Amino acid sequence: MKEVFAMWRHTQMVVLVALSAAIYAAVLIPFKGFPIIPGYIELRPANAFPIVFGLLFGPAGAWGAAIGNLIGDFFGTLSLGSIGGFVGNFFLALLPYKMWSVFFRRDENMEENVDSGKKFGVFILLVLLASAVCSLIISWWADLIGLFPFLLFFALIVFNNAIMGGVLGPILLLALYPRIKRWGLLWTEIVEPEDASSSRLQRTGAILVWVGAIGGTIVGLILGFIQRAPGNLGVGLGLIPFLLLILVGSFMLGVREQVESVEESMAAEGEESRA
Amino acid sequence: MDPSLYLDRDTWVHRLDPRTKMFLLVGMFALPFVFLNPLYELAVLALVLFFGYLAQSLTNLRRIWFILLTILIVTTILWSIVGSGRTPLFLFVEREALLYGFSNALRIVITVIAGMFFLSTTRNEEVGIGLVRLGIPYRFAFAVSTALRLVPTVVATGLTIGQAQRSRGLDLESGNIIQRIRKHLPLLVPVFVTTVRSTNVFSMALESKGFGARPERTYFLRTAMSGRDALVIMGFGALLAGCIALRLAGYGGLEGFSS
Repeated sequence: MKEVFAMWRHTQMVVLVALSAAIYAAVLIPFKGFPIIPGYIELRPANAFPIVFGLLFGPAGAWGAAIGNLIGDFFGTLSLGSIGGFVGNFFLALLPYKMWSVFFRRDENMEENVDSGKKFGVFILLVLLASAVCSLIISWWADLIGLFPFLLFFALIVFNNAIMGGVLGPILLLALYPRIKRWGLLWTEIVEPEDASSSRLQRTGAILVWVGAIGGTIVGLILGFIQRAPGNLGVGLGLIPFLLLILVGSFMLGVREQVESVEESMAAEGEESRA
Repeated sequence: MDPSLYLDRDTWVHRLDPRTKMFLLVGMFALPFVFLNPLYELAVLALVLFFGYLAQSLTNLRRIWFILLTILIVTTILWSIVGSGRTPLFLFVEREALLYGFSNALRIVITVIAGMFFLSTTRNEEVGIGLVRLGIPYRFAFAVSTALRLVPTVVATGLTIGQAQRSRGLDLESGNIIQRIRKHLPLLVPVFVTTVRSTNVFSMALESKGFGARPERTYFLRTAMSGRDALVIMGFGALLAGCIALRLAGYGGLEGFSS
């Protein structure tokens, strides 16, 4: 997670946090008029953005998604539940960029785009993982403070995130990636390798995140079904081990290899153009 | 559509230090969760509305009345179904579950209204300074306040792009909800590109003005805690402590409800 905090040293990353947050909030707000459960959750095409932000802007995208969701809540739904929304949206953008390089060898093209079958498959897998984790966090928090039953909230948020991310995400990424790369705004180009966390424990981290997400989903659904009503600590306590696994796993997911790989490919491109 | 919620009024609430308003906001998020009985929740709601009246911010409630009403109805119905109690009321709904549902709906409504009043009385710049004064790193606070300030700009960009597309024949108004959403989607890419394109210029402008050059910063907007702030914090702290003591003494609960 080193880069999550070290990125604040780069002015470009700070600006990207602000701009991503503003875009996310600005797209969230008009769609508050298309509710699924009025007052709680609406159709959110904007939910494709955190995943795309994460892949393009890395940690700046994660902070941007978290702040953008909070600002979106300011326009009518700011409550204690917004804390869960902040953390959940942070992870919705964090996991795609942290997990991306797990699926590629160092000598492979690791660019965070969906211009090949393998990359598209990885993207969809990461959308499902990040959607489940985001949903686990928000639904767990809403259940813990007695706002909304886990089961229904979880299903709705997964639906919103996965459908919007899976359908709109690839289109957005294909359209935006070349431009962002041309402008030199990819996080891998801004963050220095020494600012990125080491990739030594990446595999272990990835396993912990998957176990946390899948285990949390299964146990959460079972507990949510048994418990029905929120606020009586069944889901609240039962999911803590899985959320801890996700958190610890996220800390272990290093991205230095990814940053170095981009640096190497940029250096190679530079040499080619000189030759 | 105006995304800004701030109401420029000269009231003592507006003049409070942003930290005091943040303390009140957190307190107002906590207060409704002390009680379970809807009568007590109604008293808390009355207190929040009175505060809004003093801040001359009740007009902003017109913007979210529909959301508040639907929260009240949906939450009450939902909890009446998933909760259970001792006294049958009708079909499978018990009296205690219904009361708890109403109480929980009021909790959410109170926190949403409190958030609305906070934004109605606090400028974006004050939010940023308040966060810094509370110990949040400046760069993070800067990102939050800049994002808040940029939202209307991004919305305006979206509207301009929408108008440009409409002038070329794109019909954004007709069709059902899904069709209308689908028609809005092509606007996402230009909105994103137009906004993000300014990143490098924005960064250079910031750095040319000394952004991050020195750890200590000075601010054009000066805020300071006054005696009034101390009085408000102590008064609200005493109220919160009193409510907790009342609850511990056995008042404000809801007998017979189980989930």
